[in-house]
Amino acid sequence: MSIQESINVIPQKIGDSSIAIVEFDLVGEKVNKWNTQTMTRFKEVVQELAKSSYKLIIFRSAKPKIFIAGADIEEIKSLNTKESFTKAVGAGQEIFNLVEDLPMPTLASVHGACMGGGCEFIMACDYRIASEASETRIGLPETKLGIIPGFGGCIRMPRIIGLQAALDIILQGKAVAAKKAAKMGLVDRVVHPSILAEQTLRYAADLLKEGGKKRRKTFCPTGLVNKFLESGLGRGIVFSQARKGVLKMTHGHYPAPLTAISVIEKTYGMSDRTRALKIELENFCELGITAISKNLIHVFYLTEMVKKQTGVANSSVKGKDVKHLGILGAGTMGGGIAYVAADKGIDTRMKDINMDAVGKGVKHARDLWQKLVKRRSLTEYDFRRKIDLVTGGVTYAGFGQSDVVVEAIVEDMEIKKKVIAETAKNMRPDAIIATNTSSLSVTEMANGHPRPEYFAGMHFFNPVHKMPLVEVIRGAKSSDETVATIFELSKKMGKMPVVVKDGPGFLVNRLLLPYMAEAAFLMQEGMDIDRVDRAYVKEFGMPMGPFALMDEVGLDVCLKVLKIFKKAFGARVEIAPCMEKIEKSGRLGKKNLKGFYQYDASGKRLQVDPNIYSELGLSAPTNPLANKDCIERGVFAMINECSLALIEDRIVETPDEVDLAMIMGTGFPPFRGGLLKYADSIGTKYICDQLDHYLSKGAARLKPATPLVNLAKNNSKFYK
Amino acid sequence: MSARDVVIVEGLRTPFVKSGTKLAKIHPAEIGRVALKELIAKTNLDVDVVDEVIIGNTGNPADAVNIARVVALNAGIPQKTSAYTVHRNCASAMESISHGFEKIKAGTMDVIIAGGTENMSQIPWLMPQKFQDLLNQLVAARSTGQKLGVLGALLNADFKQVWELVSTPPMLNTKFKPVNGVMQGLTDPFVGINMGQTAEILAKEWNLSRREQDEFALRSHLLAAKATKEGRMKEEIAPFMLPPDYKETLTEDIGPRETQTIEALTKLKPFFDKLTGTITAGNSCPITDGAAMLLLMSREKAQALGYKPIAKIRSYGFAGLEPERMGLGPVYSTPVALKRAGLTMKDIGLVELNEAFAAQVLSCRKAFDSDTFAKEKLGLSSKIGEIREEICNVNGGAIALGHPVGATGSRLIITLMKEMKRRNIQFGLATLCIGGGQGGSMIIESEA
Repeated sequence: MSIQESINVIPQKIGDSSIAIVEFDLVGEKVNKWNTQTMTRFKEVVQELAKSSYKLIIFRSAKPKIFIAGADIEEIKSLNTKESFTKAVGAGQEIFNLVEDLPMPTLASVHGACMGGGCEFIMACDYRIASEASETRIGLPETKLGIIPGFGGCIRMPRIIGLQAALDIILQGKAVAAKKAAKMGLVDRVVHPSILAEQTLRYAADLLKEGGKKRRKTFCPTGLVNKFLESGLGRGIVFSQARKGVLKMTHGHYPAPLTAISVIEKTYGMSDRTRALKIELENFCELGITAISKNLIHVFYLTEMVKKQTGVANSSVKGKDVKHLGILGAGTMGGGIAYVAADKGIDTRMKDINMDAVGKGVKHARDLWQKLVKRRSLTEYDFRRKIDLVTGGVTYAGFGQSDVVVEAIVEDMEIKKKVIAETAKNMRPDAIIATNTSSLSVTEMANGHPRPEYFAGMHFFNPVHKMPLVEVIRGAKSSDETVATIFELSKKMGKMPVVVKDGPGFLVNRLLLPYMAEAAFLMQEGMDIDRVDRAYVKEFGMPMGPFALMDEVGLDVCLKVLKIFKKAFGARVEIAPCMEKIEKSGRLGKKNLKGFYQYDASGKRLQVDPNIYSELGLSAPTNPLANKDCIERGVFAMINECSLALIEDRIVETPDEVDLAMIMGTGFPPFRGGLLKYADSIGTKYICDQLDHYLSKGAARLKPATPLVNLAKNNSKFYK
Repeated sequence: MSARDVVIVEGLRTPFVKSGTKLAKIHPAEIGRVALKELIAKTNLDVDVVDEVIIGNTGNPADAVNIARVVALNAGIPQKTSAYTVHRNCASAMESISHGFEKIKAGTMDVIIAGGTENMSQIPWLMPQKFQDLLNQLVAARSTGQKLGVLGALLNADFKQVWELVSTPPMLNTKFKPVNGVMQGLTDPFVGINMGQTAEILAKEWNLSRREQDEFALRSHLLAAKATKEGRMKEEIAPFMLPPDYKETLTEDIGPRETQTIEALTKLKPFFDKLTGTITAGNSCPITDGAAMLLLMSREKAQALGYKPIAKIRSYGFAGLEPERMGLGPVYSTPVALKRAGLTMKDIGLVELNEAFAAQVLSCRKAFDSDTFAKEKLGLSSKIGEIREEICNVNGGAIALGHPVGATGSRLIITLMKEMKRRNIQFGLATLCIGGGQGGSMIIESEA
């Protein structure tokens, strides 16, 4: 099979007029995408068409759910120099110019994903028709990968749909459904998928009847406000607002959206296409070679990797499909789990000790959907369908149907074991119980189950509906099928599962704990809480600082887990004296609206509690440490612990899994590519040296661990 | 295929709740969904095996005209499974069981959900035809002039609606007066009298004193309250979490009054016949919201799925009589059911006779025990047989629990079969009178 067959030209007649249908069907692939091969072939096709006498050209895809998925990310990943980017992206720009310059009108007939380079392609066509199928998504996701649209997307999109709508899509890397696309003018007609082919021909016939002319669609704003915002004066406001919005969201850590704004600002309204595209190209190449873009592409690959995994090494084992889920404990976690399960169509039954508790769990899920209904992103009918999947009671009614039961009751080994034993009696013998414990041993807990091979851990992160990570904990006796089923269930719930071995704190909490413990020492040494948190958020890019995080987790829980860890890990864990005093302060964090920070009644975080320092026996903060030291001590503490967890204890198998887990479970800044990508980027030697330096100042807990020391000897990387 | 045994695997209902209170804002399909969903959970039923869902309902809400289908889909019954609604007034939820019984007995189907749901709080007021005509004109009006003209007429009619509502007697229908759907539903369309008035006729013809009726009502309350207190009702009630906050969960019927006294009942004024009547709000059943669902199977299927059924359906019978004496319906339908079951009244160890009105229950019991009535009205050679007080409505009845019209038929069977099991009774009879002049009876046999 050759690349020739991937793009076929099918001549056709409409009345007396000859037209051509160009069909994309990339041989040997599930999706159509732009790479060097397809680009080269397409260029030939377009050059032939330019010479032909066809009256109109239709472009369509033969793939069932894909129009054109975009540029081949594998190829982008392999480009490392400005020159190579200029060559590859420049070639794309040139071909789309050829399409735009074809003498006859062109009509794109879109069904399925039409993303990035696919979207840029249809914008180079004169007319666009799309199917209203849910698979049809049109958008420009480039900024999510740290780049900008480079095949003319930054230039053509604002001209077609106007500045505001284009910025909205490009800056957030959004994709829209066909109907929305039609509303904003990105496509001209929307039809039911089963009649797309026929309606495309009809549209072509209509165009031919009207004279078969080319068109240059330009956006015409309607309404006074929009007219003003498109005007010279108004644009300034649009751009400055967009910039502010981006900076607020990213703290300046993500250059791509800002670059996109400046490219659009420079080129919008420019009549010289060559010059405008050159500006886009130059800026694209600048971004393409940045580590940030490479890191974001790495993260993209990590998420793609999970989609293909099953959670077990044995490829013949398949996870069972879960249709009925039981949940023990209808608290915040239980309610959150019910929400993510029912949201994906899983029938969910909760059990708690009284109906009040069950009601709270149902309400937790209902409120989350209600928010979506209010925002109009969920219809009343879909809402009904989802909430009807959440039921509960005080008996084991319904548990006989459950394929999996998730246990989310109080963190107490003996109680959990007892409840697990009782629950197992009320379930089918082939059904699985998974514990959502965050701190107890899954292997030991499995002893409560009469068939421990049907038991594993399924650790969600709070808030469940927001945090994508699920740690699937493989107990010593968990069977492959059990692990694969929980892995598959996590994916079905829209989560990112990572299989981890049993051990204190599993992976994420084990790494987070030294980080939080270190923050307490920073405070002990006179650092301002607010200053430390700000440094982590604004300079390093964490979604929240360690103190805010401890408030979220609950200060009592933090202290309890610290003590457990101290027992397990000895000298590596130290508890700052001020942290010990938390216990008697009555401060539990966000849950009683009293922690390091103050909270309003609705739980919104306000400023740092001014009384906290004196209450914990500290004098007013003097801030003796530089921000850099504060950040390094916390982050390096995580890296240090990670070297043990990964290399010595093999809690997970690969650095990939560590990075995915940290990004999805803690919001570790994706632009840094994950904890270990970051470690590799600054060098294990530097990290080891700095830890030695802090150790010399008396921080015994920061003593570099053996596996890290070994790596540092040759400044080796975690990633091989 | 030869006739097969039809068994009841389990039955469950929501609490029965006085209309206009806790369930007032909850759609009847939602009340039904909760009952069905809880039945599915309690029985750990694989919904894939359900062949059909048949649900009784009389309010027929405009936004869920085939309410059975809505209940079924919302409760997670697969889309491939058919569902339909049945309406036989007060016996709708017995009608649904009889459909299920016939289909399973004949071998057409193996697993059927039968039940009923009703929200009488939500039965709408109806606009008079005159007002509807104006609304149609408004929708059809083209020019602004036309629209304004109709609008004027509508405002005038609107005023008349309210005026006629407050200035004319409640039972009198006038040109512009909106009609209370509940009251209309409880008025016989053939003879034009209210259900309460049919009970008045029985009270007079069977010579029932006010005291007798009030004492019966008191008995109903005290027995129902006792059954609730002693936890017997819990066995048939699924807790109902009240949306949207779910802070409150209903676990008991709202109706039975432990503190009910004969004095309080005596004080009430007759509602339907102010001058000579004896029927009061106290000795009639209240307007009520609720749902009840049963899981029916062929014996073979129940065995194959590992279920232990509670009861077996022996027979059912429906029969008609004068609409103005509809309360005597059970007297007409029970001989039919007994004959089909090959049993006599002596075999029946427990009876649930729906309490639409105390007068109606008491006259039924007299008629059951009357040779004259049997000969003259039923064409039988002798009386059907006495219904002894100690086996009749032993956990109270609709006067206390309420009568959500489209759900009661199933509630009677559930209450009956659970009590038969407790008392170790072989045969039980559930029977009710039906607005429009019919009676319905069903005989079940314990499986223990």
